[in-house]
Amino acid sequence: MSEGFGPQKVFEIFGMPITNTVTVTWLIMAIVISVSYFATRNLKKKASGAQVITELVVSSINNLTEQTMGEKLKAFSPYIGTLLIFIGISNISGLFGVRPPTADVNTTLSLAIVTFFMIHFFGIKYNGLKYLKGFAEPFVLLLPLNIMGELATPISLGFRLFGNIVGGMIIINLLYGALANFTPEFIGIPLLQAGIPVVFHIYFDLFAGVLQSFIFAMLTMVFISIAVD
Amino acid sequence: MGFNLITANLRLGLVEFNATFFFQIFNTFVLYLFLRKMLFKPVTELIEKREMEIASDIDNAAIKNEEADELKKEYNKKIKTIENEGKKIIKEAKMVAEKEASRIMEKVREDEKEIRLKNQIELEREKIKAVNELKDEISNLTIMAASKVVGKNLKLEDHIALIDQFIDEVGDTKWQN
Repeated sequence: MSEGFGPQKVFEIFGMPITNTVTVTWLIMAIVISVSYFATRNLKKKASGAQVITELVVSSINNLTEQTMGEKLKAFSPYIGTLLIFIGISNISGLFGVRPPTADVNTTLSLAIVTFFMIHFFGIKYNGLKYLKGFAEPFVLLLPLNIMGELATPISLGFRLFGNIVGGMIIINLLYGALANFTPEFIGIPLLQAGIPVVFHIYFDLFAGVLQSFIFAMLTMVFISIAVD
Repeated sequence: MGFNLITANLRLGLVEFNATFFFQIFNTFVLYLFLRKMLFKPVTELIEKREMEIASDIDNAAIKNEEADELKKEYNKKIKTIENEGKKIIKEAKMVAEKEASRIMEKVREDEKEIRLKNQIELEREKIKAVNELKDEISNLTIMAASKVVGKNLKLEDHIALIDQFIDEVGDTKWQN
């Protein structure tokens, strides 16, 4: 299976394939962690330079979480920020020629499963048995339907993100292939590939990428606060 | 752990579940811990601390403003009382000075009167003295004239009394004019 658009295996650990999804994730993690290390290394009360941008990013994520989930749940801000930053950078990473980690269903479903467990953990933590009883409402016969509905949440979350990103990636790959075929052979310069894909990159990588990361974070916040309320 | 460079380009299925799922959960968790500890916690704490400081600064400024207003009121009151006191002191001083001035004027007037009286007395005395001297002179002259006219018979002691009497009768009115 060397054709297609699936993730590539880079190496193996104890028989487990490590794909470029994981390696690119490590790369993104390294970049994000070192940037946040250097950005917060010398915080001053009187903000200037890069600290202003750091504070802007953190305070906008804090404000977004507080506005969406309420004052009570603003402690979720670091997790929501992690989702926004990781998914956002992953989605945009297609611009830098790597395979976006979010174009792998394992990544998106793992994030969605974490959200799924958070929804029900905090639902039970804040509301106890009343939360579990909520599944048997309006009457007990709807219990299987309600459970199926709950199980659909992570699947729809995960596949929405995966579908958007992998779709964009496939379209852009097909476009590059097509443009390579249309380029006159005698020039030897990939003329057509130079300008035309920009429009597609802006839409599929930048616009859809940022939008999907925002949607994922937003839905996570909304589901958790619904379960907690 | 074994690298297999031959299968490095092996593509997995587009929708295929494998160990990546667990790796990604672990990666997300690690990234979350790092970001929470290194980015969100310090920056949020800094922002909150700064907001609290600004709020307390504003409160302090309001308190200080109030205090300043009170002090201003107090000082204005003090200045007013001082002004009033000053006016009172000036008024009193004026009164005292006026009293003193009138007293001095009175004294001057009295002194003047006294001096004038003294001068008058002196003058009177001088006059009397002059009149007396003239009387003596006249009596002498009269005696001399009488002795010349009468001759050497006339005795000085007998006639001085007579002449004096005459002069007293005539002189008082005649010599004074």
